[in-house]
Amino acid sequence: MPTVSVKWQKKVFDGIEIDVSLPAYVFKAQLYDLTGVPPERQKIMVKGGLLKDDADWSAIGVKDGQKLMMMGTADEIVKAPEKAIIFAEDLPEEAQATNLGYSAGLVNLGNTCYMNSTLQCLKSVPELKSALSNYSLAARSNDVDQTSHMLTVATRELFGELDRSVNAVSPTQFWMVLRKKYPQFSQLQNGIHMQQDAEECWSQLLYTLSQSLKAPTTSEDPDAVKALFGVNLRSRLHCQESGEESSETESVYSLKCHISHEVNHLHEGLKHGLKGELEKTSPTLGRTALYLKESLIDSLPRYLTVQFVRFFWKRETNQKAKILRKVDYPLELDIFDLCSEDLRKKLEAPRQKLRDEEGKKLGLQTSAKSGSKDSDVKMTDAEASSNGGGESSTVNQQEGASSEKGTHMTGIYDLVAVLTHKGRSADSGHYVSWVKQESGKWIQYDDENPSMQREEDITKLSGGGDWHMAYIIMYKARFVSM
Amino acid sequence: MAPVPDPNSVAGGAKRDEATLKVPSKDPKKKDDKKEDDLSEEDLQLKQNLELYVERVQDPNPELQKAALESMRQEIRDATSSMTSVPKPLKFLRPHYGTLKEFHIKMADSDLKKMLADILSVLALTMSAEGERESLKYRLTGTEGDIGSWGHEYVRNLAGEIAEEYTMRQGEESSIEDLMELVRQIVSFHMKHNAETEAVDLLMDVEDLDLLLEHVDSTNFRRTCNYLTSAAKYLPGPDDMLVLDIAYMIYMKFAEYPNALQIALFLDNMQYVKQVFTSCSDLLKKKQFCYMIARHGITFELDQEMVANNDDKDALQDIVNNTKLGDGYLTLARDIEVMEAKTPEDIYKAHLIDGRASSGPSVDSARQNLSATFVNAFVNAGFGQDKLMTVPSDSTGSAGNWIFKNKDHGKISATASLGMIHLWDVDTGLSQLDKYLQVSDNSIVAGAVLGIGIVNCGIKNDCDPALALLGDYIDKEDSSVRIGAIMGLGIAHAGSQNDEIRNRLSPILNDAKAPLDVIAFAALSLGMIYVGSCNEEVAQSIIFALMDRSEAELDEALTRFLPLGLGLLYLGKQESVEATAEVSKTFNEKIRKYCDMTLLSCAYAGTGNVLKVQDLLAQCGEHLEKDDIHQGPAVIGLAMVAMSEELGLDMGIRSLERVLQYGEQNVRRAVPLALGLLCISNPKVTVMDTLSRLSHDTDSEVATAAIISLGLIGAGTNNARIAGMLRNLSSYYYKDASLLFCVRIAQGFVHMGKGLLTLSPFHSERLLLSPTALAGIVTLLHACLDMRSIILGKFHYVLYFIILAMQPRMMLTVDENLKPISVPVRVGQAVDVVGQAGRPKTITGFQTHSTPVLLAAGERAELATEKYIPLSPILEGFIILKENPDYREE
Repeated sequence: MPTVSVKWQKKVFDGIEIDVSLPAYVFKAQLYDLTGVPPERQKIMVKGGLLKDDADWSAIGVKDGQKLMMMGTADEIVKAPEKAIIFAEDLPEEAQATNLGYSAGLVNLGNTCYMNSTLQCLKSVPELKSALSNYSLAARSNDVDQTSHMLTVATRELFGELDRSVNAVSPTQFWMVLRKKYPQFSQLQNGIHMQQDAEECWSQLLYTLSQSLKAPTTSEDPDAVKALFGVNLRSRLHCQESGEESSETESVYSLKCHISHEVNHLHEGLKHGLKGELEKTSPTLGRTALYLKESLIDSLPRYLTVQFVRFFWKRETNQKAKILRKVDYPLELDIFDLCSEDLRKKLEAPRQKLRDEEGKKLGLQTSAKSGSKDSDVKMTDAEASSNGGGESSTVNQQEGASSEKGTHMTGIYDLVAVLTHKGRSADSGHYVSWVKQESGKWIQYDDENPSMQREEDITKLSGGGDWHMAYIIMYKARFVSM
Repeated sequence: MAPVPDPNSVAGGAKRDEATLKVPSKDPKKKDDKKEDDLSEEDLQLKQNLELYVERVQDPNPELQKAALESMRQEIRDATSSMTSVPKPLKFLRPHYGTLKEFHIKMADSDLKKMLADILSVLALTMSAEGERESLKYRLTGTEGDIGSWGHEYVRNLAGEIAEEYTMRQGEESSIEDLMELVRQIVSFHMKHNAETEAVDLLMDVEDLDLLLEHVDSTNFRRTCNYLTSAAKYLPGPDDMLVLDIAYMIYMKFAEYPNALQIALFLDNMQYVKQVFTSCSDLLKKKQFCYMIARHGITFELDQEMVANNDDKDALQDIVNNTKLGDGYLTLARDIEVMEAKTPEDIYKAHLIDGRASSGPSVDSARQNLSATFVNAFVNAGFGQDKLMTVPSDSTGSAGNWIFKNKDHGKISATASLGMIHLWDVDTGLSQLDKYLQVSDNSIVAGAVLGIGIVNCGIKNDCDPALALLGDYIDKEDSSVRIGAIMGLGIAHAGSQNDEIRNRLSPILNDAKAPLDVIAFAALSLGMIYVGSCNEEVAQSIIFALMDRSEAELDEALTRFLPLGLGLLYLGKQESVEATAEVSKTFNEKIRKYCDMTLLSCAYAGTGNVLKVQDLLAQCGEHLEKDDIHQGPAVIGLAMVAMSEELGLDMGIRSLERVLQYGEQNVRRAVPLALGLLCISNPKVTVMDTLSRLSHDTDSEVATAAIISLGLIGAGTNNARIAGMLRNLSSYYYKDASLLFCVRIAQGFVHMGKGLLTLSPFHSERLLLSPTALAGIVTLLHACLDMRSIILGKFHYVLYFIILAMQPRMMLTVDENLKPISVPVRVGQAVDVVGQAGRPKTITGFQTHSTPVLLAAGERAELATEKYIPLSPILEGFIILKENPDYREE
């Protein structure tokens, strides 16, 4: 009986006797004892061939001391995953678009970059999109006029189309409806449509949407747009002459950042914007008198829009001039010190919680860090004055905290979209939007071309040169769950 | 300026002559007038003496004649010792050359006439008219005395005249006996005086190199052989073979077996290889030979004659079979500390890319996953571990299913990548692949059988697992399984000339029912297995298969593998291809020219044959009306022929630049691939820049080829510059899935084996060309000629053919028991020392490391210790070290 050695994986089994009178299966059974590999899975290689179960040893001519090699494992056989894997290449076009991580650009229809960039910024608000998708086509409530309805539908359609396609979308329908609703956008100059102010487009569009989406039939949310963008301001009016004081509340869709010589930073501009003077008929004096108005934020929106008041009417040249001054803005904005006392109280607890969480992340002792920094901030300005910007409305808003139970506003906002203007006057130049995607990547939408950008480049859009400079910026509230 | 005698001057006369000569040269006019006056007293004396001798020579008195001749000879010999200027006596004798010549004719035959002939021979050195060869003429009639007594310059001149005379006489078919005697003298003189190169030159001119054997000795044979081997590259066939033959014999004569073996391998002469084994008695040395053969990648069976002892034979055969290659490679990896598996993400380094980084797709992209599969396979090749394929499936659940993250045919490549990861480790590889053979999915089975082939690449085993396991799959129903098995066999058995496989594969070629893709891969695999064998039967099968193809099939991209398979049979075999090339002229015109170009380029691959380069260039230069596919292989062929040595290589690169500017689009598309081949694993900056420019070409096919080639030139180098370029390209092409795929593959190439591998088919100081390695590269390049249908289509697994060229670029020293030992070595840029005087340094700009070390392209290593003696002078791959018995610790 010849003895052979069998090599299996890294192991060598020496001196295995072969009973040449028995079929090879018996030998396989021997190996099964040694290796634990069932005979049917064993592949034994003898000089360029496999050993068959019924092979005759004499035919193979095995020699004493010959080396055989065995392949085979007792491992489980690999199975395909239960759920078939879906590949991007198999998906329809719209799914591929979502896979790309950002949506398509908008074709410029001739000086429509103001509109394109506005739309791209607004489209980045998912809540607005969902509110629009709930808006029904047919059921137009009576208090919404025909054109507003059409504009809302057109917006909805356009947003949908943008999400579905990979290539640039042409917003022709939307543009027509927009001009119908707001004929001022149809201004012609030398036979072509003029460049318009993106801020106007933005506020008009939002106003229309707020009107049509407010209709009771649309959704359970009475005023979706206001809930998203509205900022309630509580203003104190103080007349120095008469000493009389009054207070009023108003709701605006955006805060203004006034740019004067002292303003270098968004925060200063905002503070500046919340103070103002106005002339008003004083009931006690019986004539118009100068009033100081000082506003504080009473409720916070989910999306805080800030407009840099870069354009002003220059009387000498009879045109809208632009302030090129550099005004820095942060990626993370804390507006705690612009809030009213009531609101601050409400924000205290969530902010503490947020700090704790952050501290934990950094591995710091949370208890040691109290909110001393924030309590230092004092609201010394007591005078109230009125702010003239925005559509005022005295509708009482629900709390700044979101409707979702358990999550609370913190007064801290993250930058999500920047609409920039490049050029020297409002009627010329070029508008571009820079939008942060859900993935955290920044995309620059230059009409039909979306391109990736780095986050650090976003803060460089603060002006002070001829580069793109921020005109409208939008922040998203940071929530904390309690 | 009066000449002042230099008191220190030994050869005073000569020195002063120079001084005096300079004066008149300042003013030519003066020279004529005052020539006589300018001479110093001594010179004048000499001149007068010489004139006297000339007169006396013509004297009828033989005594006087003899004395005069002897004096004249004495004067000349004294002066010819220095050759910084024309020796004085020769100069003064110039006017009398004619007189003496005439007198010589008149003279009766005598010793004196011979003496005069000697002198005339020397005088002819400066005075004979061009092409007259008077020096030789008088030498032949002279005294035949010691040739060296007249100085080196005389001998050199004589050698030149002999060469001329020889060609003339060859033309007239007259005797050369008298010349050969002289040649013998000259050779012996040169060999004694460190002028081996001149001796070799002369012998090459008179076509009698055998003479060298008599004259080499232990001091000069190395330099002689060095010169012979490097000269061989520039000689037309069959002279180059003769020259190498002589080099081989010289090495054998001095028992310099490693070098002899090297040349035997170059000549592809198994008889010589065998002779090396039989002549050498040292077992350890034989082991070293086996390492060299293993590196060359040929199949070689040892027999009783070469090694008497059976156990020894087994041990040696093991080395030839490359069974220890994997272990050596892992030793290197452990030493360099790169064992940690790398993920494709580690290679892409997306965080370094500006803004454009892909936004972490939520859905798996089959394309991107496939590229990740390849990158993972290339980067972790041979390490036996990675982070996609070999992680246990139960640990996280998802990782083990990487195969299923590839779509359809992608699964073939994914499963086969296991073979790549376990490259050279047959035992583990087979057990890993085993379970996939049982799966019901045909793509996975196809990948598993291909993987089995890959894991056995370059490794031979008595049990021959590749054939045993794959044999059953060749005739399966599913074509992808068949292709997997066929390709696997081709890779595992490349160069083995295994008849059993031929008998299995040949019938497929002529099977009318077999699909085209199966036939194409069968032809290719046969070409690989019989690479450079000129096997008639295989050639016939492929030719018939080609003839049987229908018009429509000839348009298929894969059809190109048939002519390529045919070409591989004749790889590097030059004229042997001619019969087949004739037959190819009868093919359908669609494939005829493609076949022609492929055969031509394969047959002359690595020969540096300038005529063939010109032929191919002419093909590239044609501006064809319709798109013809044959120009692609012509461009690649250009690189294949020119790649053999540095000069031809540079010339090739320059010619390709021209082709790029003036060529048609389909020529331009192949140029990057040709550049990639010329500089494979050798990232030359100029080529890198050219390819970087082309990678942004408006023609996307030029761009894809350039991107792949960027990967090829940086293959296995981790070259940071190329890596940076590719990263930028990945962001530039982030929207184009095909180009991005190519960028990924190129990134995989650059980081191949984490930078421990090379794709260069050349080894042993760029002398030897491994045929299987070249076959692998050429196949890949031909596939790249139609990237869209092959690599970007569903035959991406042809990328695995590159495995044939993958070799560790290491130098690993082992002791007498073949255990790795660490010794200090100097690694530096290799210097070409051929034909240089003295003992020049062979490396420059070196650094000292301890083995194992990596060797980059153009680098050479030398031991930095006297403690050991390497058994091979070529320090590459595995080197056995013997302790130096004379070494003393300091």
